[in-house]
Amino acid sequence: MARFRFAEDVRVLPGLVALALFVVMAAAFLGANLPDPAGFPADATLIADIGYSLFDFTDESGVPTEGFLAAFELIDLVLVAALVGAILLAKREDGSIGNPLNWGDDE
Amino acid sequence: MIPTEYFLLLSAGIFCIGLFGVLTRRNALVFLMSVELMLNAANLNFIAFSHMHGNLVGQTFSLFAMALAAAEVAVGIGIVLALYRNFKGVDVTIPTSMRW
Amino acid sequence: MAGALDYAAAIPALPLAGFLVALLVGHYAPRVLPRDGAIPGILATAGSLALSVWVFFTVSGGETLNEELYTWVAGEGTFSLHFGLLIDPLSAMMAVLVSLIALLVHVFSLGYMNDENEPGRPRYYAGLGLFTASMLAFALADNLLMSFVFFELVGFCSWWLIGHWYTRPGPASAAKKAFLVTRFGDYFLLLGLVGILGTFGTATFTELPELVTAGLDGGATTYFGLSAQNWFAVLGLLILGGVIGKSAQFPLHTWLPDAMEGPTPVSALIHAATMVAAGVYLVARMYGFYAQLPTVLAIIALVGGFTALFAATMALVKREIKQVLAYSTISQYGYMMLGLGAGGYVAGVFHLLTHAVFKALLFLGAGIVIVAMHHDEDMWNMGGLKDKLPVTYWAFLAGSLALAGIAPFAGFWSKDAVLHEALVYGLGGNTAVLVAAVFGLVAVFFTGFYTIRMVLLTFHGEPRSSEAESAHGVGWNMKLPVAVLGVGAAVVGFVNPGLIHELTGASVTFLDSWLQGPIETTAAHHYHELVAANAAYTATEVSSVLTAGVSLALALAGVLLAWLLYRGPEPAEHTEKLGSVKTLLYNNYYQDEFQDWLATGVALPVSKGASKFDQGIVDGVVDGVSSVTLFSGAQTRRLQTGQVSNYVMLLALGLVVILAVVGFLGGWF
Repeated sequence: MARFRFAEDVRVLPGLVALALFVVMAAAFLGANLPDPAGFPADATLIADIGYSLFDFTDESGVPTEGFLAAFELIDLVLVAALVGAILLAKREDGSIGNPLNWGDDE
Repeated sequence: MIPTEYFLLLSAGIFCIGLFGVLTRRNALVFLMSVELMLNAANLNFIAFSHMHGNLVGQTFSLFAMALAAAEVAVGIGIVLALYRNFKGVDVTIPTSMRW
Repeated sequence: MAGALDYAAAIPALPLAGFLVALLVGHYAPRVLPRDGAIPGILATAGSLALSVWVFFTVSGGETLNEELYTWVAGEGTFSLHFGLLIDPLSAMMAVLVSLIALLVHVFSLGYMNDENEPGRPRYYAGLGLFTASMLAFALADNLLMSFVFFELVGFCSWWLIGHWYTRPGPASAAKKAFLVTRFGDYFLLLGLVGILGTFGTATFTELPELVTAGLDGGATTYFGLSAQNWFAVLGLLILGGVIGKSAQFPLHTWLPDAMEGPTPVSALIHAATMVAAGVYLVARMYGFYAQLPTVLAIIALVGGFTALFAATMALVKREIKQVLAYSTISQYGYMMLGLGAGGYVAGVFHLLTHAVFKALLFLGAGIVIVAMHHDEDMWNMGGLKDKLPVTYWAFLAGSLALAGIAPFAGFWSKDAVLHEALVYGLGGNTAVLVAAVFGLVAVFFTGFYTIRMVLLTFHGEPRSSEAESAHGVGWNMKLPVAVLGVGAAVVGFVNPGLIHELTGASVTFLDSWLQGPIETTAAHHYHELVAANAAYTATEVSSVLTAGVSLALALAGVLLAWLLYRGPEPAEHTEKLGSVKTLLYNNYYQDEFQDWLATGVALPVSKGASKFDQGIVDGVVDGVSSVTLFSGAQTRRLQTGQVSNYVMLLALGLVVILAVVGFLGGWF
């Protein structure tokens, strides 16, 4: 088992850009006058309401929400495409998938 | 009630940490992990505003974002595999063909 | 039947057609060209001569022509540039003179070029044709711009014809020198032309005198803050620059002796009678302009008088016959400038006329001698040619006596007229003209000397070389023009024998009355009034018998001295006795070397410096712009490293900047 090492080959200088971005965003957020959070009622069934909104049953929901049925179907397709794509990318040129789990390495 | 600015600050911090990782790390897998961090920071933002408006749209949207993040990681790992096969390593600074 | 003046445009057009025929047929179908272009040239110049004579008689009947033929650039609200014809007594006379001499030279060339089998004859006749056309167009021009265009064209033809035997280094170099030196003067002429167009809004000869008068009274646009008098003087001097170059006056005279490298008929036509006359003719054409500028007139007279003496001294020691004649030409044109500058318009034009006749005669005669001597031009190798070339000898003698100014030959009358005018105005209080007149008088002595020296060495005595002994006679085509001109040299002086008029009161001054032409602004009496209106030009009463006597005495003295020194069977080289003076004169006062030095020692370093400036700074700026662009492009290119992390960094950086800017502008903070 490899010991954890801190990465020593990190170039810090580009990271300053990330720091700058944080500074800018923090300044913007802290300066914004956002209204007080409305929150949800204590007895709201949030997960069930999310489920209702996924199938466009917005009337059944206790909390205001919108219908996401089209997005649900689409994300389903995207996930299938991603699965197929990942397997395609992982295949070797001769069409086999090689030995991804390194079976037989113990011998 | 927690003021929304705190949520936003937290999400900004996580985003910038993810960005730091994208900018500075050389390992491709760590690169992908940083990208995941950035996506999750965005999700935090959605949740925060959903809490502020009292509307569930933000939370539903962040669910979809998570699903997309998973899909993207799947394809990303495939790309890292292809990278390993062509460049014999997962150092993102080695392949420099996308230039003049 | 249409009048002669309707066909006047054909006068220069006919030789132009001859040029085209000789050039094109000579190139594409040389065998078809009759006598290699001589016949088209002869026919063309004969046609021009016939037309010119017809025009001459029409003008003597009182008609003139002053019209625009072709508008080159039509100006909107400003002057326009055009070509046109001005046919008045002066230009009609010049047209007859030019076409006559051109015809005689063409006939002479049959003998000089065709019979001697010189190479490149179609090219030669084409050049003669173009030259004749340009010279006629120049003579008939109605404005200074057209004159300038044809002035340059005759300069080009001069280069063409001098360099006829261009395969030899001498003629090629001489042609270049002639072109460059005259071009240098023509540059000033161009500046003067532009100045005149800008000041007066027109360059037409007939309009200029009145505009100058009006300008001198006030109301002319001048430049550089000069007064009207001074600005007009500047313009006159600028145009004089071109005149000095073309008429080979000091200091731009150095090209004419070298131009003798060309064929002798060319020297006769161009460098004796016509092209060098162009400069003096231009002054005469613009005399209404010059007459109102006494300073410039005085300068013209001084330059002319000085050149007359200067060139005459150089002619004393020359060995080659054409060189003597070349310096003689320079000297005689100095006389013409002296005449014009002294206020004697008729005198200057008269000398132009007579000089053209007798100098062409002398050159053609020299051409015969050269052919007889198989192109040996050294007079010390000649001798005794009088018996072998009798017709030539008598004609040459007539021309020489005319040149020397011995009565009753042509040169006497005209030179006397010039000197009389110069003395009349010089003694009237104009010092510059008086000095120039004295120069002219001294030059008369030298002229007589070198002319008779030339005749004696060439024709008299015993033959001094085998070529001289075996000199053969020449054909009619060379003897005829020489004979015609010989008669001319004897009689043409009688068109204006001023002395006879003075002595007997007979109205024999035909040229004088001829030049009092119908057009008022170009009439001789108008010029006389303009000159007399200037305080510096008051005339005294000097008897022309006195001046004639003095100049005749000086000429005869020169002739006598030459006769004493060079007569007999074996003349000695007396010029050796002058010692270092001879070296100075023989080397032309080192003027050629001086002008060479001006080119290599002054102009060349300046131009090298300018070139360095151009390459270093001007080019440097342009190159610098390009290299800066290339460098910045190369550096910008390095942004694209190909590493994804760098691209993300740039994206994030851009985002930060945009957020910050929008935040500051939108008041987020």
